[in-house]
Amino acid sequence: MIHFISKRLKHSLVLLFLASVVCFTLVVSAPGNVAVLIAELRGAASTPGYVEKVAEEIGLNKPLLMRYVDWLGDAVTGDFGISYRTGQTVSADLPQRMMVTGTLIAGSAVIATLLSLLLGFLGAFWPYKLPDRVSRGLALIGASTPTFFVGALMIYGFSVTFQLFPSFGFNGPVSWVLPWLTVAVLPAAVLSRVVRVGLEEAMTSPYVLTAKSKGLGRTAILFREALPNITPVFINALGTQVGLMTATGIIVEPLFAWQGVGDYFLAGVRFRDFMVVQACLLIFLAFFIVVNLIVDLAVLMTDPRIRRQWS
Amino acid sequence: MNKLKPIFARLNKFPRVALVVIGLFVALGTFAPWLAPQDPSAQNLLQGGLGPSVAHWLGTDHLGRDTLSRLIIAANTSLVSVGSVLIIAMTIGILMGTIAGYHRGWVDDLLMRVVDVGLSIPSLITALAVIGIVGPGYWTMVLALALAWWPMSGRISRAVAVSIMSKPHIEALRVLGASPWRIYFGHLLPGTIGAVMVYATADAGTAALAVATLSFLGLGIQPPTPEWGQMLVDALPYLESDPRQVILPGLALTAAVIGFNTLGEAIALNRIPKPLTRRMLAMRRIEVAGWGKENSDA
Repeated sequence: MIHFISKRLKHSLVLLFLASVVCFTLVVSAPGNVAVLIAELRGAASTPGYVEKVAEEIGLNKPLLMRYVDWLGDAVTGDFGISYRTGQTVSADLPQRMMVTGTLIAGSAVIATLLSLLLGFLGAFWPYKLPDRVSRGLALIGASTPTFFVGALMIYGFSVTFQLFPSFGFNGPVSWVLPWLTVAVLPAAVLSRVVRVGLEEAMTSPYVLTAKSKGLGRTAILFREALPNITPVFINALGTQVGLMTATGIIVEPLFAWQGVGDYFLAGVRFRDFMVVQACLLIFLAFFIVVNLIVDLAVLMTDPRIRRQWS
Repeated sequence: MNKLKPIFARLNKFPRVALVVIGLFVALGTFAPWLAPQDPSAQNLLQGGLGPSVAHWLGTDHLGRDTLSRLIIAANTSLVSVGSVLIIAMTIGILMGTIAGYHRGWVDDLLMRVVDVGLSIPSLITALAVIGIVGPGYWTMVLALALAWWPMSGRISRAVAVSIMSKPHIEALRVLGASPWRIYFGHLLPGTIGAVMVYATADAGTAALAVATLSFLGLGIQPPTPEWGQMLVDALPYLESDPRQVILPGLALTAAVIGFNTLGEAIALNRIPKPLTRRMLAMRRIEVAGWGKENSDA
């Protein structure tokens, strides 16, 4: 157990290091002279003297390895440098933005879990009957509809036609509902198939036959015997989907005028603001790594087979 | 006619939805310039936001452009960009995969670690990061998406290459003294390309989705050229007064993706007739076995 956790932690640290190297190289390899950009940003005509001073100030003249160490040291303490576009520190409103994106992902993950369990169980309870076919059809449509189209339909349906929820803004749970639903559609569709297929597999296994022969009802078997068995698989798939939600967030946040990390990343990409792109990318990669770590630990908790392997 | 029979018999086993939708998408995309009833960029501000009529079957957008023509031309835009993305991505992926599968050893380990990292990052984030560094544009979009896409075909072609390399005829060739080049280009590469192509067709749906998403964000195909995602974002400000212009491109895109996803599911469930997918299934078995191994390693 302890051995497993320490091994996974080490693995994650190596990945984090690799992620930081990727982010750093990306910006270093970007075309154009950063010092000239910043000098222009500060209104100074790009005279060679001033550019030289800026280069000195942000440490451009140091060797690459030193620059990486400096940058990493700053990044670890939450300092991501100066935005080329605004001239202000990148980290200024990052905590606020991370909170916004966190709200989006957490809410969507809960909704996706509930929806997919509902759809998957409907399908498994009446296999190959009408509910199963409906849930399969919904999953196919949900997995195929582009997120931005889902968002547009949500706004049109719930905020233009029936004025139930506001179409933009981040103020209070009522305004959170539409973005949550929009992000949750795709993962719910994918996860419902995971639940449905996992349950079908579990239902054909010998221990379910034993339970049946003991006289247990279908509901009891599904919830007491099959559900614990698909939990590790489900958690694994949920982890992947939560990671993908950061990408969906990039589409959904601007659509609903949320000032999240995804929105910040997109703005950085639009204006080629490398420092913002770099900071957001590092946050995303760190998020994937942490989610993966949590998923592995959760699987360890819920799957006695793996636990036994490591004890 | 007799020669066509086996082909038709094979096509009949495809899911019908996929067949119809993909056929329609490819046909529309290929012959779009001749099929579009009107000039897709001809504006007529006096006739903006009209409903369906005899002149404009699906109405007009806020600039008075014929929606049906724009939807058809958009299929062409989408088909061309998805094709370019997949061709570039598959070229990189097949090269990397076959090299890894041919050499094994540390080359294999290194390339597959790169593939693992590439696969674990959502393709949209990879593509956006590349666009953010290089700057937006049509070819940047294609290259960025190809860079986000190659790890998938890389992993598959590596698995296929490994299975081909373990076949007896490769060993026989070695014994007969065939040069590595002959084994690579004469036997390994052709076999791998065939298998990866099948998989790529099923993958085209997500690629089309990615092109539309980047265009929606304003970083892919740029305005006068019609593209579904870009048409949708164009019409979004008029959602309240003219929802049709938002819903139509969205539906067209969704239909295309549903077609490709159905095909993908049929391939995954082994419903496609054998000769086409024999190698693919071998690859899938190896890949699935690999997952089990990874999990027990972790």
